[in-house]
Amino acid sequence: MVAIVTRKLTKKFKDKVAVNEIDLKIKQGELFALLGVNGAGKTTTIKMLSGLILPTSGDIVIDNMNMKKDIFKIKEILNISPQETAIAPNLTVKENLEFMAGVYRIKDKGNKINELIKQFKLDEILTKRAKTLSGGWQRKVSIAISLINDPKILFLDEPTLGLDVIARKELWKIIEGLKGKITIILTTHYMEEAESLSDRIGIMANGNLVDIGTSKELIRKTKTKNFEDAFVSIATRGE
Amino acid sequence: MTRMINFAKRNFKELIRDPLSLVFEIALPLFLLFLFQQFDIPADNYKLENFTPSIILFGFSFITLFAATLVAKDRTSSFLIRLGASPMKSSDYILGYILSLLPMVLIQNVLFFLVAVIMGLEFSISIILTILVSMVISIFFISLGILIGSLVSEKGTGGLGSIVVQLVCFTSGMYFPKDSIGGVFEIICEILPFEACLNITQGTLHNDFSNLTPADIVVFLIYFIAILLLSIIFFKKRMISDNK
Ligand SMILES: Nc1ncnc2c1ncn2[C@@H]1O[C@H](COP(=O)(O)OP(=O)(O)O)[C@@H](O)[C@H]1O
Ligand SMILES: [Mg+2]
Repeated sequence: MVAIVTRKLTKKFKDKVAVNEIDLKIKQGELFALLGVNGAGKTTTIKMLSGLILPTSGDIVIDNMNMKKDIFKIKEILNISPQETAIAPNLTVKENLEFMAGVYRIKDKGNKINELIKQFKLDEILTKRAKTLSGGWQRKVSIAISLINDPKILFLDEPTLGLDVIARKELWKIIEGLKGKITIILTTHYMEEAESLSDRIGIMANGNLVDIGTSKELIRKTKTKNFEDAFVSIATRGE
Repeated sequence: MTRMINFAKRNFKELIRDPLSLVFEIALPLFLLFLFQQFDIPADNYKLENFTPSIILFGFSFITLFAATLVAKDRTSSFLIRLGASPMKSSDYILGYILSLLPMVLIQNVLFFLVAVIMGLEFSISIILTILVSMVISIFFISLGILIGSLVSEKGTGGLGSIVVQLVCFTSGMYFPKDSIGGVFEIICEILPFEACLNITQGTLHNDFSNLTPADIVVFLIYFIAILLLSIIFFKKRMISDNK
């Protein structure tokens, strides 16, 4: 089963081509990483795939539905944890979960919220206002919230950006725990994150999707010794 | 529960937990209401039956300010990105913002009238009517806030918001009648909607609309509809362009 297909997906901001004719095919249950330096076009790609912004041209098909026609149906089955932490600052963690459960009109919301509290070990911060939490906790809550509607497809935009090593490793564990059940598209500019978490990696540079493959395939293709060298070799090709 | 009410509940919590919003929307107007009754000012403006509606209007100008701040804050935080990827529709946002401020407006009205009655305002059914009318008028102040919050950043809302506060103070006639200055100033007062708002609420409270002119009604309706439409148009526009 294919979860996401794009055809010549393009986004221009005035003259700037942020995303250039991208063709993607992502399988259901796959963890796909979009890897690239700052400004490569990762966030713009994710925003188009999640229905936040309209493409300049090209097509998006998600779960066999066309984004142009069925945008509100598609929005029911996906969720996103944006690049900057996105939680209501003056609400407690519990209230944030309840609010988002309301946004997605979750039927059995008590159970779902308790499940997330357990899964992310949120007990100790449940009654704290979101704005008082550390960066690591905020990110964890942000990701927990994005699972509230049991999304079929989850977008994680730079989930570990700005976190310390310990918090990052903890988040990696959580993301690994989600693998296989949900189709996950993760963006990152950390090579080791893409290499250790994902099934396949798409390397973006200057709005182009330069190459796609498993880390091993990409290393083999570029005849390099490690993934870092492979990335540099591929990314510079896009310039 | 609808998405709109769910969103309104969240907005209300954000507002009521901001101590500054309570200070300006409730404590400051109450203090002024109390303060001006301590001196025997001979002008009619300061009589309780006139000054209480003025204080309500003054309180509304801060409703504009804090609505603007909430919208601008939401816009610049990733919170709206998250909601933008959800099935929420534009009407859920706009109505959710408007609805969330109405309880605050009700709290203001009830408290201001309560204090006024304690200080000697005669209780009558007109008070209830005035509260209802001013709830309608408050929708104009809320949508003005949504419009400002859609146009400028969080920093900018402070500036524009305080202009609205000043305009309410000087052009509504709450402190002095416009003909005491006259000339261009008088025309400005007539073109702006704040004097009309005050004439409507004062008229309702006195059950005497002799001060209310047809021009007042027309001016108010034009502003009410125009600002509501503009707030919807610009919020939708910014909601998309911020995420571009
Ligand atoms: N709203 C916008 N207006 C103009 N240019 C933009 C906008 N958003 C992104 N860009 C540009 O598009 C390019 C890709 O940005 P982005 O997708 O955020 O990259 P990444 O997430 O990979 O760091 C960058 O050059 C960025 O400056
Ligand atoms: Mg990015």
